[in-house]
Amino acid sequence: MENEKTIFKVNAGGPLEVSGSFEIKIPGKGVHEQKDTIFLCRCGESSNKPYCDGSHKRNGFSD
Amino acid sequence: MSDPRNRQYTNGEITVFWIPSKCIHATTCFRELIDVFNPGRRPWVNMEGAPTRRISEVVNKCPTQALIWKYNKDLSPEEQEAQWEGTRDEETPRTLSGSSSKAKIRIMKDGPIVVEGQYSVIGSDDQELNPTVMTSFCRCGSSRSMPYCDGTHRKTGFSD
Repeated sequence: MENEKTIFKVNAGGPLEVSGSFEIKIPGKGVHEQKDTIFLCRCGESSNKPYCDGSHKRNGFSD
Repeated sequence: MSDPRNRQYTNGEITVFWIPSKCIHATTCFRELIDVFNPGRRPWVNMEGAPTRRISEVVNKCPTQALIWKYNKDLSPEEQEAQWEGTRDEETPRTLSGSSSKAKIRIMKDGPIVVEGQYSVIGSDDQELNPTVMTSFCRCGSSRSMPYCDGTHRKTGFSD
């Protein structure tokens, strides 16, 4: 059975949107299988890293 | 003392040195020149894949000097000797297992988002970006080659 291909969407001035099924390894938190869409911080200033918390809208992050 | 994992590759004119301990998976080398730098292959560096000038140009872009190059005429006697040791048991820049399986995402501490496996990337202009075996996305917000990592996080002191 083939897994649904994982898509990484680079949102302009915003987070990296990941959808499909994938495995994610986060330092100190181990490895998790994931199927939901997640948003990863790209601006460097989220207080909820590695996830986006909307900080990019306040700091004017752009590509 | 040099790391036994280090490797060197030559095309007779220049030698490219690979120092795995310095690699931060910026993946600049694959993106620029997959014909030469292909981690899905052994040996992962194919010096016949491009002209010398192009190879040295891409090696110069490695943000951490995990890849460096020298003219063969400038090699030390020790380096000349190492030329003949071959590339057995070589490490590649990829350290996760399985290349044909589902995507694996690794959040590097104080560094980029490293992705490998089966996946596609849609850029900020909604165009699909060229697929490679591995992608490294900037997480510090300061890369000059967005959306990819270019090693800037080490200069800006980005931390999680």
